[in-house]
Amino acid sequence: MKKICLTVIGLYLGLLAAFSQQGPANDSSYRSRKLKIDEINLVSSYYHQDGERAAVTGGIGSQKLTDISNTLDIKLIRYDRKDRKQVWTGEVGIDNYTSASSDKIDPKTISSASYADNRVYPSFSFSRENEKKGTEFGVGVSASSEYDYFSIGLNAHVTKKTKDRMGEFNAKGQAYMDRVSLIYPVELRGSEDPNAQKRGSAARNSYSVALSWSQIVNQRLQLAFLLDLVQQDGFLSLPFNRVYTEGGAVQVEHLPSSRFKVPIGARANYFFGDKLIIRSYYRYYFDDWGLKAHTANIETAIKLNNFFSLSPFYRYYRQTEVDYYKPYREHKVGSEFFTSNPDLSAFNSHFYGAGIRLSPPGGLFGWQHFNMLELRYGHYTRSNTLQANIVSLHLRYK
Amino acid sequence: MQLTDTFQAIDRNLFRRSLKLMGNRFDISVEARNRAVAEELIELAVSEIRRIEKLLTTFDENSLTNQVNEMAGIAPVIVNEELFQLVQRAQRISVLTQGAFDLSYGSIDKRLWNFDTSLKELPDRDTAKEMVRLISYHNIILDDVAGTIFLKEKGMRIGFGGIGKGYAADSAKRVLADAGVTSGIVNASGDLTTWGNQPNGNPWTIGIADPDSAGNPFSYINITDMSVATSGNYEKFITIGGKRYSHTIDPRTGYPVTGIKSVTIISPIAELADAMATPVMVMGIKVGLDLINQMNQMACIIIDEQQKVYTSKNITVI
Repeated sequence: MKKICLTVIGLYLGLLAAFSQQGPANDSSYRSRKLKIDEINLVSSYYHQDGERAAVTGGIGSQKLTDISNTLDIKLIRYDRKDRKQVWTGEVGIDNYTSASSDKIDPKTISSASYADNRVYPSFSFSRENEKKGTEFGVGVSASSEYDYFSIGLNAHVTKKTKDRMGEFNAKGQAYMDRVSLIYPVELRGSEDPNAQKRGSAARNSYSVALSWSQIVNQRLQLAFLLDLVQQDGFLSLPFNRVYTEGGAVQVEHLPSSRFKVPIGARANYFFGDKLIIRSYYRYYFDDWGLKAHTANIETAIKLNNFFSLSPFYRYYRQTEVDYYKPYREHKVGSEFFTSNPDLSAFNSHFYGAGIRLSPPGGLFGWQHFNMLELRYGHYTRSNTLQANIVSLHLRYK
Repeated sequence: MQLTDTFQAIDRNLFRRSLKLMGNRFDISVEARNRAVAEELIELAVSEIRRIEKLLTTFDENSLTNQVNEMAGIAPVIVNEELFQLVQRAQRISVLTQGAFDLSYGSIDKRLWNFDTSLKELPDRDTAKEMVRLISYHNIILDDVAGTIFLKEKGMRIGFGGIGKGYAADSAKRVLADAGVTSGIVNASGDLTTWGNQPNGNPWTIGIADPDSAGNPFSYINITDMSVATSGNYEKFITIGGKRYSHTIDPRTGYPVTGIKSVTIISPIAELADAMATPVMVMGIKVGLDLINQMNQMACIIIDEQQKVYTSKNITVI
């Protein structure tokens, strides 16, 4: 099976009510006027016109001036009365995503929704930093809505830096209250299967605590250790996953209503100057369904010049199957829990590929608003026959 | 302002010297192999700024600038190429800003009305106008061939308060870059210029002061090879009838400027950033933004009296 996914993530709109690029009514004695070409380009012609060597560029000449127009981001900070830094972030992101297999849920409908389901996810967060003490805490709320899924999330984090600011401890707690719409395979709707009797939607809650320690060892080496504890409750099966038993009967998968997961990981980043960066990552995972997994990842970023970089990567992954897994037609009738979801079987996988990133100073294709393009290609092979080629395109438009 | 001359290591390869130059605090930071090398390099920048101070000061009656002022209404004065070109560039900014920037701003007649924090009322329209009668960049006559500057009216004066710090920052940067310094910042009391990246490879992070709490930034930008200048009325202002007036006088009307708390200009050239900040404040939010929006490689952030923030179109707020 070959599958090509194309993901386009882009057009992020940063909205901030207090900001404006339109001025108010004019009350000064000066009038707006259309500038002449040499005035529009005053910066680049400033010294050149006088035949003087450009002081700014250390005498290298004015053509070396950095273009400002596509690189300026300003970040807002506020300080409260106790001199603590406060950062407010509000964001509305709109995604468009594509998936090929969700069309199989009901082959009779022409499913326009599933190849272009819109995701809308407003979020709001607040954080406060005490720079003197090196501490920060924050809270956030988010909501996410999809075709078959609605989620509300709450999170809180605390951070403490060591005295020399080289080490940082971070603890983050998150709770997600999700409602999953139960969409059954077409042949099981209205059947006698007790698990398919459930209609409408079901709750699924996740609680997690993430602890991390990051340490700057020296200018070149950074390390981080990560431990997560995740508890999930509620409806954890996917109602549209079919299970065929030994006799060929079909049911929907049924899994326990609680799952406890523990990933433990470490990261190491090594910088050879600013041209070459190596990022590596290892993670061990286990849960109380009997799944154990190892992940190892290495990624490099090679900066060829200021606006062109390459990033090859490789990821290895292996996992054992969950206690409730049996392949197609191997489940016996009468087991309490059962699944044939290949994602829960034993397998190993390799994922490798490379990305290129372009951000020319004059904008892409001569269009100044279009300032970054990132194209990634990955080839994914999994021992239980799944193969995929993944191309993702990331654009930044201003 | 009392400021001692201090030298400190900020990072293993980053050194900073802070001292008073041109009547202002200068902080010069450079990336260098070690302390001794940094001291030697920064000394080059300091002597360059002292040289410029000598040329531009109006506190020393023998400075070239003051010789031009002495001869106002009498005769053209032969100046060196450096001063001639600086005035020539400044004249282009005056044309661009419809006279909101004017080198002869110092010709203001302080006998009629003087900005003072104890003021209770503004002068009438005619007095205000009379006060600024000598401010006119049209009357600064440059002779390319003779290399002279002539101030047409008696009593006229030119000064470099609105452009000199930026010019000094650019010049210090040029001297340092010529000496092989690949990254650093020259900060002339808020008119600053950056080049290269921080030793850790990241661009320089520049905070923009909050007009309501000047010691703290309200926002910051990450820049390299870019200059920033801020002009604001939050340090010197008067309140009359509940309205806040800046110490900046509109050279057209003679009245103090009102409505804007601060203007920050970002541009690759410190001299231009410095010279543009005050005129944008004088011209007002609408006209000022419209001007900057038409220009390439120049950006601005304006904070008004209501603490509302306006930015030019090439800025993204995140």
